[in-house]
Amino acid sequence: MVAETIRLTQTVKGAGCAAKLAPGILDKALCGLDLPFDQNLLVGLDRADDAGVYRVSDELALVQTLDFFPPMVDDPFSFGQIAAANALSDIYAMGGVPKTAMNIVAFPAKTMDISILRTIIEGGLSKMKEAGVVLIGGHTVEDSELKYGLSVTGYIHPERILTKRNLQKGDRLILTKPLGTGIIATAIKAGLADQELIDRVTQAMATLNLYAALIMEDFTVHACTDITGFGFLGHLAEMVVDSGFGVHITASAVPVYPEALEWAAMGLIPAGAYNNRNYRGAFVDFAASVQQRVQDLLFDPQTSGGLLIAVAAGEAESLVAALKAKGIECAAIVGEVVNRPVDRIVVE
Amino acid sequence: MIDELDCRGLECPAPVLHVKNALEKWAPATIKVLVDNEAARQNVSRFLEHQSYQVNSQLQGEECQVIGIRDEGAITADLTAAAVKQQEAGTKKIMVLVTGVHMGHGDDGLGDMLMFNFIKTLKEMGPDLWRVAFVNSGVSFTVEGSEAVPLLQELAGEGVQILACGACLAYLHILDKIQVGEVTNMLEIVTGMKLADSVVTV
Repeated sequence: MVAETIRLTQTVKGAGCAAKLAPGILDKALCGLDLPFDQNLLVGLDRADDAGVYRVSDELALVQTLDFFPPMVDDPFSFGQIAAANALSDIYAMGGVPKTAMNIVAFPAKTMDISILRTIIEGGLSKMKEAGVVLIGGHTVEDSELKYGLSVTGYIHPERILTKRNLQKGDRLILTKPLGTGIIATAIKAGLADQELIDRVTQAMATLNLYAALIMEDFTVHACTDITGFGFLGHLAEMVVDSGFGVHITASAVPVYPEALEWAAMGLIPAGAYNNRNYRGAFVDFAASVQQRVQDLLFDPQTSGGLLIAVAAGEAESLVAALKAKGIECAAIVGEVVNRPVDRIVVE
Repeated sequence: MIDELDCRGLECPAPVLHVKNALEKWAPATIKVLVDNEAARQNVSRFLEHQSYQVNSQLQGEECQVIGIRDEGAITADLTAAAVKQQEAGTKKIMVLVTGVHMGHGDDGLGDMLMFNFIKTLKEMGPDLWRVAFVNSGVSFTVEGSEAVPLLQELAGEGVQILACGACLAYLHILDKIQVGEVTNMLEIVTGMKLADSVVTV
């Protein structure tokens, strides 16, 4: 079986969300575009949020997103699951309910057996079913490198949209998955990760943010995003910039894979982490006590990372307890919204 | 002996792996690595520093030469020790499903004794023990009058989640007698099985 022997990660240059175009470069393509105005567009390109939101009626809005990337694991079924979980995550981060999805595929049919594509799509489909999403179509192009992902559409109430903006003083920040998947993907590519770790990280990346999103519905959540290619600090910066507040992060409280810390010290860091740091590093002040390897991990591009939730201070402990009770064991309070320094992140 | 590496045109993690191989084979006192992108420069620098080399970078146009000089005063970090540490760092999640009051089939008195002993010994799983879920007549271990209650309370104190099937407690009319753990449902049990690294059923 070809599918058993090909290592998907060896066939591509970038791995997972680490393959994302550097944010500074993307800005050059997008800034100043003449975007048509539509009063029903509630969240669009100008806001740089997780997904776009379009109002259909006073009760209903569409929430739409799209995500695809090259494989970050070797197993085709797992790759399909992770890509789907990652794409669905943007809908959950907005507080929406995903309903339909379409496959986006770039496939090297000349060098790869078509059965691999089938297995990838089966993996994706398993996550769509778990999420209660129907697959309604897709588009496949021939390409030299494999890529897979989804375009997802969901529902949301126009008055219950959770954006990245709207941090409030005293809010606690809660992260629901450990950091380090970009560094670990690099180590997998290097053949340094053992199977036990690969399985553990694969399972985490394939876990839907649905469960965390369902739990947070019962709490006073002011803002939310999901951690993907721009890394923890990159996505946090999007929440903090122009918020009128600052954020204090306690580095030791941030859940991480210990293996990733070790590999960060060894220099197994994806180029995306450096891009993220170059782009958003100016908004971050690190205390001298925060080791280089920890700083690198905080900028590490994540594939299908967790939700970063800003919740009212008084409810933070009970939200963490509720997340843990539902098996989201690593959920932790990692920081706090403060008055100053305004629009900056301080990591201690 | 190779102490000059050309890593131009290579994407991470390849440059670091080339340097790692060279260090493991020849352990040169000085190593020069030619790279052509910023991520490779920083990664190779971090790796050499981690291996107790003092690092300097010299820009040559678009390219960069990273020079590492071994710091003789320091002990070279042991790569294999790091690998062992990685294996030890992670704990597994074991879920135990207790489906009745007897362990195995045969004499019920013996089965009772074995099951009680099993629950008593569960703590030996250490931090890998994640959840113990009780279903069917097994829920009786979590209610008033059971000798297992203090044992389960001890486990709960260690952070182990103790779950008892609500439908089973209700069916046996002992829902109000629960002394330890949380009342759960089949969805949570099934989700737990999925989240667990391994499930042990007795």
